[in-house]
Amino acid sequence: MKLEEHLKKYFNYTTFRTGQKEVISSILEGNHTIAMLPTGTGKSLCYQLSGYLLKGQVIIISPLLSLMQDQTEQLMMNGEKRVIAFNSFLTPQERKQALSQLNTYKFIFLSPEMLKSDFILNRLRELQIALFVIDEAHCISQWGYDFRPDYLKLGDFRRKLGNPLTLALTATATPEVKEELISSLSLKNWNEYIYSVDRPNIVLAVEVIDSYHDKSDRLVELVQNLEGPGIVYFSSKKMAEKMTIHLKQNGIDRVMAYHGGMEQENRVLIQQQFLHDQLDVICATSAFGMGINKENIRYVIHFHMPLQLESYLQEIGRAGRDGMKSIALLLYSPGDEQLPFQLAEGELPSEAQLDFVYHLLEEKNNSINDLGELENELISLSGLTEVQWRVVADYLFGNTKEPMQQRYVQLKVFINERLQVKRKKINDMLIWTQAQLNGCRRKNILKYFKEDKTIEIDDCCDQCGIDLTVFYPKTKNHKTADNFFDWKKHLAKILLVSERG
Amino acid sequence: MIESSYHIKNKFPKKNRIILIMDMFVSVNLRLCDMMKNSYLSMIVLYCLHKINGERTIYSILHLLNGKKSSQTIQDAHIFNLTTFFSTFPLLKRAELDMHIDILNKQGFVSTNAEQSYCVTSVGLKQLEEYFKPNPIPANLNGWKFHNLTDLFWERLSLAIQVISHLKNRNSKYLPIQKSKEHHKWLKGYLYKCKLSKDELAEKLYDELVACLETMDGLDPSIFVKRVTGYQIIGLTEAQAADQFDMDEEAYHIQFLSILHYMLEKVGTKQGDFPLLSCMIEDKKRATPLTESSNRTFNLLQMGYRLEEIAQMRKLKKNTIEDHLVEIALNIPNFDISAFVNIDKQKEIKMAINSVSSKQLKYIRELVPDVDYFEIRLVLAKGGEKK
Ligand SMILES: [Zn+2]
Repeated sequence: MKLEEHLKKYFNYTTFRTGQKEVISSILEGNHTIAMLPTGTGKSLCYQLSGYLLKGQVIIISPLLSLMQDQTEQLMMNGEKRVIAFNSFLTPQERKQALSQLNTYKFIFLSPEMLKSDFILNRLRELQIALFVIDEAHCISQWGYDFRPDYLKLGDFRRKLGNPLTLALTATATPEVKEELISSLSLKNWNEYIYSVDRPNIVLAVEVIDSYHDKSDRLVELVQNLEGPGIVYFSSKKMAEKMTIHLKQNGIDRVMAYHGGMEQENRVLIQQQFLHDQLDVICATSAFGMGINKENIRYVIHFHMPLQLESYLQEIGRAGRDGMKSIALLLYSPGDEQLPFQLAEGELPSEAQLDFVYHLLEEKNNSINDLGELENELISLSGLTEVQWRVVADYLFGNTKEPMQQRYVQLKVFINERLQVKRKKINDMLIWTQAQLNGCRRKNILKYFKEDKTIEIDDCCDQCGIDLTVFYPKTKNHKTADNFFDWKKHLAKILLVSERG
Repeated sequence: MIESSYHIKNKFPKKNRIILIMDMFVSVNLRLCDMMKNSYLSMIVLYCLHKINGERTIYSILHLLNGKKSSQTIQDAHIFNLTTFFSTFPLLKRAELDMHIDILNKQGFVSTNAEQSYCVTSVGLKQLEEYFKPNPIPANLNGWKFHNLTDLFWERLSLAIQVISHLKNRNSKYLPIQKSKEHHKWLKGYLYKCKLSKDELAEKLYDELVACLETMDGLDPSIFVKRVTGYQIIGLTEAQAADQFDMDEEAYHIQFLSILHYMLEKVGTKQGDFPLLSCMIEDKKRATPLTESSNRTFNLLQMGYRLEEIAQMRKLKKNTIEDHLVEIALNIPNFDISAFVNIDKQKEIKMAINSVSSKQLKYIRELVPDVDYFEIRLVLAKGGEKK
């Protein structure tokens, strides 16, 4: 059977998107494969379809809980029940049960912390592993923004599994990151499929706006005029909520906020309403978008500057998946960069917090074996977030051969380095944003990823010159909620009417 | 150690700088603004204050609305005739309640009579009357009776409707609006047990829902139906629905709960007419609405153990077991308390209760000095709610 027929059979699609077929063929021919496919092109399909065509289990290492959640949901929505995700959401009971019947699953997702567990490793070794997938493979790079120390254990983990057939996936990575990946996995032979991060159908624009107040006015104007559906990204939950109210007060009905602080049931409803065109605009934090397969998003506006160009690309990449012209618009006011700097710092433990933890540990010198009990105390006393704590714990308790003092110094060095990396990324983002005089934005963003801009595009960016009215709808069809509601008819539509007649 | 940890806690407050910076961007505190115009919840709090009449602290209201399952809260709910509101706002925070009280106080609707205790003023009483006359608290609201079924019923029902709607449309690719694996497992068993074809199932469920909602008095079925999700129709969130009905979110919430309570009452009493709906909670209906601990005490009582023995067996204080007994007296209609208070004493206490206006135990006890508080509480519990 041809690959397209399998695609039709398993996913009901008729054609592959850029790169998918090449990557899948490479895997099926038994090659280790590195694939850099731009956001929005269906990376996960590469391992999903390959998995169905190979005998044995697919193991996927995925760095983000929300991402893992979305991917498992996607599979389940497609009717696949043999999916399990090992992460901190699993209760010990569920985990035990899942481990005892591991061979009944087809797709096994692991969060990076699980790479440390010998128990899981040993259970996995009993399986016939068809494919070992490293999702968001750029997390392996110490110079990347998303560096996950646990990813450094990947090479070792993979070796202990007997070097299974491997697929490394990422959306954005520079050549250096790729080299790091290859060396840490000690790959000798591999195929690589590198596609440009460029999405030519997305117009890039930055608007510099004097004040915060003008910015919220401008947002109203844009949302009123641009053809939807669209997403507006914010760096804070509160702002996403506040601007939702502001938009509503200005006559935009079908808008809702979406962020991680909302109740799960509401999150699902809002997301689904957007997918089913019951909403035109979502005011969201970066929690929104992963796993959203909405083809016709026409604009992505950033009300706040993201912390790095990689995230920016990922977020604007949600526009125009149908290949139609779409626009990415970043609203910048002088001083906006303060927030990203603060956010980046907040992600890491502060020096004072480190000192505090260290001294407390010194005091308790001998009881360090009993980490479990100490953990909660340390977290609550130092005020570290869970993410921050994991960094600290990894260094102070990960490698017990070296003396505490030395590990502590290493930790400080590490945190300092991370901070430098993050600051540099924000600066790169800022330079790109402010580059009024430096020419084409597309060229600049490609240069950042060590690519050359090769094709000329009609509506490229604000620097090359664009006409925003291209993105205004031809006909004004402002949808408003209908006032008349017949509950019985509505219920009948849900339960009695069938599309099959 | 405790002292030093307190010190350190202050040095590193959990909220870090970022949150403060973000707060700066948010110029108005929206919630406070909302509350200034007599929010529904403020009025509920005022109503509760009126009922408890300064005889409990304001936090007894918090526990009531949160649905705290302590004997004290359950007794208060009964004594002050507030069982309807039990567990209606499980997520209400202490600080939010304080804010409501503060607003009521500033408007002169309440005045403080003791620390953390307030009485409703005559202005407040008038306000209550004016506020609830045009939109009374729904008669179907019954927090105490259904508190442990309400959420479950909605979660199962909404999932069942969504899944059955998709089955009817032969579509298997969709995101379930309820994510709990337990609900999914339950639904699988439910669908199997129904033994109906996909089309029959959808039709029967439609018929039952219409039959149930159609006869509802004083509540608009749309309040419920707008929340329902099906094939290519996604239900509204609570906030969205409140918005569409141009209601205060809390007012909407109470109406929505009332509809669920109405449905639970109706399908519970007429199971034969609503086989599909009543089956949704069949496994969760408990014979008694007792808390688990009280239920254990009740079982031991029925086996003939004495109060002191139970306390010893369960390694609990005698006071705790007494609390359980009061809870049992409140909830088990034919529970006989004469083993704990003899008939003569019961008569004496009842007379005392009727001659004082307050429900505070100390005033009652002043009239019958030879009985103890436990005995008064038992008789109060048995007397039920004075209407
Ligand atoms: Zn350009």
